Amino acid sequence: MTEVDAELIAHMSDPKNYGVLENADAIGIGENPENGEKVIIHLRVTEQGDEPQIEDIKFQAIGCMTTVVAGSVITQEAKGIGFPRAEELIAVTLGMLEQVPPEDAACSEMVALSLQAAMDSYIGKQKDPDFGTITYKIENSCTPKEQV
Amino acid sequence: MKNLLIKTHELWLELLMAGFMSRTENRGKLYDFSNIVFRHFTWLEHHLIAEGESYDYDRDTIPVKVEKLSIILNNINRRISELDLQIISCPDEDLTKRINSDLNYIKATLSKMPDEEVTAFDTSRTLHGITLTQEATDALTLFLFEESYKEYELIMIYNYLQAHSDDAFLNRIFQIMIDESNFHLRSFGQMMSEMGILGVPRVIHKSLYQIEDVKQFLRDGIEEEIAAKEMCKELSDAVAKDSKELAAFFDFINYQEDYHISLMTDALVYYEGQENHG
Repeated sequence: MTEVDAELIAHMSDPKNYGVLENADAIGIGENPENGEKVIIHLRVTEQGDEPQIEDIKFQAIGCMTTVVAGSVITQEAKGIGFPRAEELIAVTLGMLEQVPPEDAACSEMVALSLQAAMDSYIGKQKDPDFGTITYKIENSCTPKEQV
Repeated sequence: MKNLLIKTHELWLELLMAGFMSRTENRGKLYDFSNIVFRHFTWLEHHLIAEGESYDYDRDTIPVKVEKLSIILNNINRRISELDLQIISCPDEDLTKRINSDLNYIKATLSKMPDEEVTAFDTSRTLHGITLTQEATDALTLFLFEESYKEYELIMIYNYLQAHSDDAFLNRIFQIMIDESNFHLRSFGQMMSEMGILGVPRVIHKSLYQIEDVKQFLRDGIEEEIAAKEMCKELSDAVAKDSKELAAFFDFINYQEDYHISLMTDALVYYEGQENHG
C-alpha cells in the first residue's frame, strides 16, 4: 500500500503542469499498449548555445492517479533544464523502476517515455519541419502478476 | 458560444466545489444551483450541436482553495457577471432569457448567503470523528482521489453520448448513469472536503468522450465497474473494524455498481442488436 503524505496529496489535488501548451514546439506520447493508457507531453523549447532547453512543459494523462502523480513530479523536475539533463532524468527514472514491481513501474515509465518522445520529436522537427509526433510504448505491464 | 460553454462548465464545477465545502444549509442551495448550471451547459451544448459547431469539454483550471466560503461565492459571482456579458453572443433569445433569469437569481442568493469557515483543504484526514488506522486512511485517500475524477469523467462521457443520440432507450440509460455518477461524485466530494483533501477533478482528454467505438467503451467500462466493486469491498473490509457506518457505505456503493453493470450490459446488447439489424 502506498503511504500517503502531504506532498502526495498536493500532487493529487493539484497536479503541477497539467494541461496543454498552445503552439507547443513538440509533443510526445508514452503509451501502454495493453490498455490504451497514455501520457501526452507538450514542450516549449528555447535554444541556448547548442543546447535545447525545456522552457515550459505540460502533460495530460489518460490513466490512473499514480500516472498523474508521476507526471506532476517528473514535469516539475524537467521544467527549465537542458535536453542532456532531461535525458539523465529519464535514465535515472527508468533505472529506479527496475527495482519496483512492473505494475507499479508502468505509470512512471509511461511519463518518462513520453518526455523522451517529445524531445525526440523536437529533434526530428529541427531536421524536418513536417516531422510528426512520436509515440513510445512501455515495456512494464500494469496488470499485477496474479491477475494475468 | 464555445467560450460560453467553457465558462458555464467552469461555473458548474465551482458551484459544486462550493457545495462540497459548505457544512451548513448553504450546501443544499449550492447543489441545486450547480444542477441548474449543469442544465444550462447541456442546453448550450445542444445549441452548438444544432448549429453544427464543433466543441469540446476543455476548460481552465479552477482555483478553489479558500479559507472562507464568502471568497469562493464572490469568485462565483464574478464569473456569473462575466457570463452575463458573454451570453449576449448567444443568438437564441429564449435560451439567453432563461439562463439570464436563473443566473440573476443565483447571484442575488449567493450574495446573501451566511459565511462559513472552510476546512476542506486542511488535510486533517479524519472523517465523521472516526479514527481509522493509518493504512485505512491512506487507502481511503487514494480511493477518493481516483474515484472522484472517475465519476466526473463518467458524467462527461455519458453526457456527450446523450447529447449525440436521439435514441430514447439509450438516452434513458445515459441519464441514469449521469445521475448515479453525480450522486457518487457528491458523496466522495463531501468526504474529501471533510477530510480536508478537496481537489477539482482534472480536465478530461477529448479521446475519452469523443468515443469511436462505443461497444468497446462499454465492455471496458463493465470491467472497470467490476474492479471498482473489488476496491469498495477492500475498503469496506479495511474500515469495518473502526466504523460499521463507513463499511456499510462502501458496501452500498459496491452493490450500486451491479446496477451500473446491468445498465451498461443492456446498452451493449442494444448496440449489438442494432448492428445485427442494420
